[in-house]
Amino acid sequence: MVNAIKGLFISCDVPMAQFIVNLNASMPASDKFILHMLDPTHMFVQPHVAEMIRSKISEFRDQNSYEKPT
Amino acid sequence: MPQVMVVARNFMDMVAALPAAKLDMLYDSAFICEAVLRSLPPLAKKYALQMLYVSAPVAAAAMEEWVLDEYAAKHRVAIDRLLQLRVFVEVRDRRKEVSYKMNQKFQGNMQKYLVDGGSLPREPIPSSVTARLPTLAELESFALEQWECFLLQLINSSQVERGTSFSSSMMRTFQRGLLSSRDGEAPRLTENGFQFLLMETNAQLWYIMREYISSAEERGVDPTELISFLLELSFHTLGEAYSLNTLTDVQRNAIRDLAELGLVKLQQGRKDSWFIPTKLATNLSASLSDSSSNKEGFVVVETNFRMYAYSTSRLHCEILRLFSRVEYQLPNLIVGSITKESLYGAFENGITAEQIISFLQQNAHPRVADKIPAVPENVTDQIRLWETDRNRVDMTLSHLYEDFPSKDMFEQCCDYARDHGCLLWEDAKKMRLIVRVEFHPEMREFLRRLR
Repeated sequence: MVNAIKGLFISCDVPMAQFIVNLNASMPASDKFILHMLDPTHMFVQPHVAEMIRSKISEFRDQNSYEKPT
Repeated sequence: MPQVMVVARNFMDMVAALPAAKLDMLYDSAFICEAVLRSLPPLAKKYALQMLYVSAPVAAAAMEEWVLDEYAAKHRVAIDRLLQLRVFVEVRDRRKEVSYKMNQKFQGNMQKYLVDGGSLPREPIPSSVTARLPTLAELESFALEQWECFLLQLINSSQVERGTSFSSSMMRTFQRGLLSSRDGEAPRLTENGFQFLLMETNAQLWYIMREYISSAEERGVDPTELISFLLELSFHTLGEAYSLNTLTDVQRNAIRDLAELGLVKLQQGRKDSWFIPTKLATNLSASLSDSSSNKEGFVVVETNFRMYAYSTSRLHCEILRLFSRVEYQLPNLIVGSITKESLYGAFENGITAEQIISFLQQNAHPRVADKIPAVPENVTDQIRLWETDRNRVDMTLSHLYEDFPSKDMFEQCCDYARDHGCLLWEDAKKMRLIVRVEFHPEMREFLRRLR
């Protein structure tokens, strides 16, 4: 019997994928969102996490940049 | 990803969208005929002139033979445009063969125009009456100042010392689509608004004119009359004075609004009052597609991401602030730097890297404008790189299918999805496939049929 699951297909570069994997690992067991790791640059995750991932990535980016104070 | 752009479409598209009866009414004026002729693509222009003295319909098939086969596409475009604008009218004879005939009014007016040239419905006022007219330079600076004042008011209505006299309802019509205002909040520029600010003056003018015309009906004014007046206005001579008494009431109301925008300058003499068209008005109908403004640029970008803008205008400062960090301002100079953070702010607001780069290139200071490239390559590349850096993760809503009973069925499903261009991923070993979410219902149907 064929099974269908709704989710998000993510495709990105290796460092970003690692960032997302790390993010997933840091979550409590009930909140783990990666359903399948397809290959180093593709994964299949739960459908509702898009915004969360995006905001975490931009947070990460902000931490890594320095803004000259005015 | 490309955002919805504020398209400053051609004025003529608006003309073409008018109902046939109104369009025919427009062709009563020889100017409009000329403006329409000017706006046509080159091939269409040639056809219109070729047909000018042909009164009988010409078969469509015969016309197709005028061009070589490889240019059939251009031929189609030209004919479509002519039909849209009702310069050509389709005639079908008894055998259902299509032939084209020229619009009689258009033909008549153009023939007359060729013979005795155009004459405006009003003559310029002799200089003995007007005493002293503004010079062209004065007129241009008036137009630009007025336009800038209008733009400033458009983007933040609160901070303007000397507002234009547009009613707030008018202003709201213009702001529609450019600003979003939620109740109790200060209005914010939308993505479209930002893009609007980065456009060229001509394109901006079009956008505003379009809003102005399309909101005409709400004000109880016939849009056709406005269009014809605007087109007529573009044939007036730059810097000459024309009496206001020759205008109809609608036109007189319109001209007051146009003066606010800087399209015309109103002046009062001892007895008469008159209007003087500025460059903004005379450029209205001129070939808009190649509206290259020869405005002098003011921005110098250095390879170290520093940006020097030689400008006294507050509007320029506001625009630069959209995507750069303004560090200090001298009376005639704005110094800023393009930083990653300032650009991210711009990207958040829906401005694209290409728009920023083309803005910098179009407004390059004459000193650097001759250099190739006008904006240092390392800066443009870096701007593009920062933009792509934001889109490193690509997410697509989808469905994953697994546990296929047989390899054969899996493959059939894969092929089916691939043929529809909706296959995102397949893993033959584990027999898993992922398709786009919108394809799910069809996929389910397909699986049911397989069973």
